[in-house]
Amino acid sequence: MLLRPGYILSVFVFLSLTACSDPSSTSIRFALASSPISLDPRYATDAVSSRINRLLYQRLVDFDQKFQVKPALAGWNQLSPKHYRFKLKPVRGYFKNGERLTAYDVKATYDFILENENASPHRSSLLIIDKIIVVDDQIIDFYLKRIDPLFPGYLVIGIVPKNMAADRTTLNRIPAGSGSFSFLEWPDTSRLVLQRKSDKQLVEFIYVHDATVRALKLIRGEVDLLQNDLPRELVQYLGKENNILLKNLPGNNFTYLGFNMEDRLTSQLAIRKAIAHAIDRQSLIRYLMGGKTRLANALLTPEHWAGLKNAKAYSYNPDLSRSMLESLGYTRDKPLLLEYKTSSDPFRVRIATIIQQQLNEVGIKVSLKSFDWGTFYGDIKSGRFQMYSLSWVGIKTPDIFRYVFHSESVPPQGANRGRYINKKADELIEAAETSPDMSARGQYYQDLQEQLLFDLPYIPLWYEEHFVAYRNNISGYSLASDGNYDGLKSVEKLPSP
Amino acid sequence: MLRLLLTRLSSTVIVIFGVISLVFLLIHLVPGDPVDVMLGENAQMADREALREALGLNRPIGQQLITYIGNLLQGDLGQSLHSRTSVSSMILERFPATLQLALVSLLVSCLIAFPLGIVAALNRGKAWDKVAMGVSLLGVSIPNFLLGPMLILLFSLSLGWLPVSGKSGFASMVLPAITLGTALAAVLSRMIRSTLLEVLNEDYIRTARAKGLSYIRVVIFHALPNAMLPIITLLGLQLGVLLGGAVITETVFSWPGIGKLTIDAITKRDYPVVQGCVLLISISYVIVNAFTDIIYGWIDPRIRQGDRS
Repeated sequence: MLLRPGYILSVFVFLSLTACSDPSSTSIRFALASSPISLDPRYATDAVSSRINRLLYQRLVDFDQKFQVKPALAGWNQLSPKHYRFKLKPVRGYFKNGERLTAYDVKATYDFILENENASPHRSSLLIIDKIIVVDDQIIDFYLKRIDPLFPGYLVIGIVPKNMAADRTTLNRIPAGSGSFSFLEWPDTSRLVLQRKSDKQLVEFIYVHDATVRALKLIRGEVDLLQNDLPRELVQYLGKENNILLKNLPGNNFTYLGFNMEDRLTSQLAIRKAIAHAIDRQSLIRYLMGGKTRLANALLTPEHWAGLKNAKAYSYNPDLSRSMLESLGYTRDKPLLLEYKTSSDPFRVRIATIIQQQLNEVGIKVSLKSFDWGTFYGDIKSGRFQMYSLSWVGIKTPDIFRYVFHSESVPPQGANRGRYINKKADELIEAAETSPDMSARGQYYQDLQEQLLFDLPYIPLWYEEHFVAYRNNISGYSLASDGNYDGLKSVEKLPSP
Repeated sequence: MLRLLLTRLSSTVIVIFGVISLVFLLIHLVPGDPVDVMLGENAQMADREALREALGLNRPIGQQLITYIGNLLQGDLGQSLHSRTSVSSMILERFPATLQLALVSLLVSCLIAFPLGIVAALNRGKAWDKVAMGVSLLGVSIPNFLLGPMLILLFSLSLGWLPVSGKSGFASMVLPAITLGTALAAVLSRMIRSTLLEVLNEDYIRTARAKGLSYIRVVIFHALPNAMLPIITLLGLQLGVLLGGAVITETVFSWPGIGKLTIDAITKRDYPVVQGCVLLISISYVIVNAFTDIIYGWIDPRIRQGDRS
């Protein structure tokens, strides 16, 4: 009796009615591959938190398409080499308590970060600041300890209200910014709700860890948009769906193969060059990556003001690679043996497996080791590797070069993980840092990138594309080259057909 | 009984203390530094040291363990190194979801396993036995990461009956509970079949039949209660496992449970959260085992009498 179709139908109707993931919801639901960790911009370091904080908080400066610093909340004048004056724009946001953002809030935010005991992860990039003086509500002066022409580009932290600035914990969960969105609720890590101030449109961030499930939720209409973090086959699968639209954009996240320059084998330039010629990057891009993924020849993209415009790339040439290895005494019978470390992320493991196969074709036997992130990262920092692959995400300013390639930046001082030591590279970095002229500085950085391409402490692989998949009742979402979520400021949702 | 209870309690405290200490030492010994994960490589040495000091990670590991246990005795599980929220609130936020899913999954597994096991036992060697055990083999063979998406494709996308994932009402619990329950049912139904077959050959079953009781009545009221001891043991163990969090199912269905929280905390080397989760899992096992013992006594008078003597 209980198995009568009517009963079964009733049960499922009831279950469906109790489901709250309503495909016809009017809020715009944005699927995330990882949950934000902190909504306090003074502590947030992960990409998702930073991107959401951009919506919640205003910042003094931002970057244009060429990664030149541009005014956001404030314009600036350099009154002396070590003295910058920022003037807040007349039109600026209000905090939740109704108070308008002022220079005092800016000072409170940066003073908090600079305070050692607050242990903000952003402190080290701002240690150049000597003192901050508020002139009036709208004007604030930054005095530096040393000259740094890139300084304005460091002031990208969201401004918190001064009356909450001393609080180290509340803002992590209950943000209070003056940005385009206001915070509504974050009941658990799986759901964060914001409201667009201009039209009260609700935006929900839904954390769905599994990529397949994320795609299926989009198809069913339980989420309206998702951006990045999907394997290519799932993107293609979504592309075949009638009610799903795709958009992509070249990105600037730089993926590379790094070498240990202190290792007996990988410290040899000829071996690194043989590896560079053995990797078929075009095929990897064609079969694994999206259509707007570009080959990389340097850490910065060519359109960056300090990027390398016409780099001489290493071509895919397995014959040349084999002959280089033979000249070093490695043959099929006596192959070169290397260890390649990567994270346990399935996509990264897949890339590493293909590179392993390509290197095997020229006679390099690669032992692939994948670890959980903590172990992998610990090994890389400590120099316990021969070869590894990683990506640099969201790079905007060329100060990254000191941090990654200067001889003084070997961990824990910086991220020169491969222990690359080159006097000429050091000199070019230092010359660029002290040059007052932008074009000369750009030229130094370009020369440096040519030097790096010759020395190959990294084999540049590609700049990953950004893409967004969205339902056909969504319009007005635009992608940004750094993958931010600013498109949500203008996105619209029409009633489902 | 009181003596038994006190002995159990003291051994439980020792076990939990051992688990906490072992996990504390192991998580600190594995490579990977929470400060690195939090600050990234940009940070200077001074910043790292400041954060290490702020988090108390610069002190000797023995001292950290003593402090942790001291705080624990006062009911303080500490703060997450990353989100800076209290571990107890994080666990309290997640545990109800885990408990709900565990209980419903167990119910699903019982609803599937008992009919399958009984049908198989009563039809030993016949087609029904093979079909029931075949279904059970299928359940145990399909991994959750495959079964979950298959159920989503069928019930959420094709039929549109249930939500794909998330915890948003009773309907959202159906697919994860079926995914987990099916795998549990497979093992359980095999256990029910084998123990029931043993019991069905006992003299008192023959006596009951000789008295003229119907076969179904004999199976349900005589055979099944006597076959329950190993089944209860297995159910207890399965509930213990479920309360520790079903990581794969939680991941597939975005279920905000303890398993996912534990794995994420291990990845980020968020020591206090890992410790809190492990403590919860240990206590869950202990409580479930205690309940299993009580149920033993309830269903089997010999155990109650054994305790009295």
